[in-house]
Amino acid sequence: MSTERTAGGSNYEYVIARVRSRRAALFDDDDYRKLIRMGPGEIARFMEESEYESEMNALGARHSGVDLIEYALNRNVAKHFDDLLQWADGQLYGYVARYLRKFDVWNVKTIIRGLYAGTDASDVETDLIRAGEFDDAFLDQLLNAGSIEELVELLEPTRFGDPLAEAYAVYEDEGVLVPLENALDRAFYEDLLTGLSGEQSRAMELYVEFLSAEVDFRNLRNAFRLARSGADLDPSEYYIEGGKLFTEDEIRQLARNRDQLVEFVRSSKYGEDLEAGLDSLEAADSLIEFERALDAALLEYSGRLSNRYPLSICPVLAYVLAKEREVDNIRAIARGREGGLSTDEIENELVIL
Amino acid sequence: MAKDVKPTRKNLMAIEDRIELSERGHDTLEKKRDGLIMEFMDILDQAQDVRSDLNENYDEAQRKINMARAMEGDVAVRGAAAALQEHPELTTESKNIMGVVVPQIESSKVRKSLDERGYGVLGTSARIDEAAEAYEELLETIILAAEVETAMKKMLDEIETTKRRVNALEFKLLPELKSNQEYIEQKLEEQEREEIFRMKKIKAKKEEEEKAEREAAEQEAEEAETVTADD
Repeated sequence: MSTERTAGGSNYEYVIARVRSRRAALFDDDDYRKLIRMGPGEIARFMEESEYESEMNALGARHSGVDLIEYALNRNVAKHFDDLLQWADGQLYGYVARYLRKFDVWNVKTIIRGLYAGTDASDVETDLIRAGEFDDAFLDQLLNAGSIEELVELLEPTRFGDPLAEAYAVYEDEGVLVPLENALDRAFYEDLLTGLSGEQSRAMELYVEFLSAEVDFRNLRNAFRLARSGADLDPSEYYIEGGKLFTEDEIRQLARNRDQLVEFVRSSKYGEDLEAGLDSLEAADSLIEFERALDAALLEYSGRLSNRYPLSICPVLAYVLAKEREVDNIRAIARGREGGLSTDEIENELVIL
Repeated sequence: MAKDVKPTRKNLMAIEDRIELSERGHDTLEKKRDGLIMEFMDILDQAQDVRSDLNENYDEAQRKINMARAMEGDVAVRGAAAALQEHPELTTESKNIMGVVVPQIESSKVRKSLDERGYGVLGTSARIDEAAEAYEELLETIILAAEVETAMKKMLDEIETTKRRVNALEFKLLPELKSNQEYIEQKLEEQEREEIFRMKKIKAKKEEEEKAEREAAEQEAEEAETVTADD
């Protein structure tokens, strides 16, 4: 269940001191250089001697190979982000929690998919990443829901309650999960920027800039996916409020024509950062390069957050992003090795801060 | 076997009829075999193209799903796959190629648009879209390959059967019938020769008897004349 602790003062000094020490322990370029030349077994051994030791040992009896690495990464990221929520108080808690709620969305979506596909609750449980605001007891309650309807009822008191209840009616009519999943993601993204305009400081401006870039990039990603799919879908249904790049009307016009959309992005404030991604999108008709460019650009914006405003949300968010990136990179290396991708291909996929 | 056949004229006529029928059947089957081989060669070309597309699409789909698993994580990819319960539908009809019934497979709901794949659009990525798309394309190619390769297999079976029939006619039935025909003809000729010989013998015997009768009659006449003269 959501336990908001936004009342009272923020404890920036304490949280930031702990975050700094955690950030110092993240893998550096040398570690990635070593990892990229290792096979999955060697990567697992390397992780056993690193920050991930306790998770690797705890999960070693249940999983093996790259699955063990992935589950250990998920459990480790959950532990670290849960610590952040435990440490933070007051407004700082609210700032951290609003970003980490994406893991609540992940967990709810995972449980919904499990219920929909009739998967055992124990199998669904292993796929959860307990890094969000929902505590273990509430997640266990959600896991034990017997149906999607029951799950929606359990989530009623949370911030996802209303959007889910609305989407559930559509789900009942159509029998597909799309409305439920979209409602959860929309609630997360639209909640990201709600109520942030009050505090005026450069650090807060950067935080807001980063979050709006995240919303813009999500809209951009989805607009290109819709344009590429060629399906007769109303782009405004997939528009997320809160970004600065598009209005709902603009996205409705642009998502029908990829070339116009590319031109629009080129002339926007993101044009320069996304130039290489847009070029490859035009050349190859694949969005993968472009999405990588979006990830890299988002990381670049997050880079501006780190260290400049020591007593603000910026170092905390920068740490969250760096940790997520570390987990993504290790998983990409291990899965890439398992899937037989070449060193160059894997290197190409990594986004290193 | 030739020895088992009764060498009668009736059998010879029956065998001649069978030879004529078998030769006609042999010609027809040979034409059918050649036609089937030509059709088979066309299907073989198509099957080779489809098989090469299949390998290509499989490699591409594997590459894309490996990429998606690497960048999004296996859990995310499995989750996106679990969000879809609707299965593609296949209907089979049949078509006739030179008497061979081959299947014609129609598929629907294989290719899906972005909102039909079950997972939400707002929280997923193009990597998952492209992996799903690659697998939809692979599935379509598999269905086409199943259709073409089944047709090819059925054609091959039919060619094999026709070839066996042609060979059986050419190398077994027709030679046997011809040998029987020859045997009966020889036997009949032999019988005819025997008959002629027998007739000749009978004729000679008859002539001999007539001659003896004639001589006896002449002798009797001579004796009668001598008795009369003595009187």
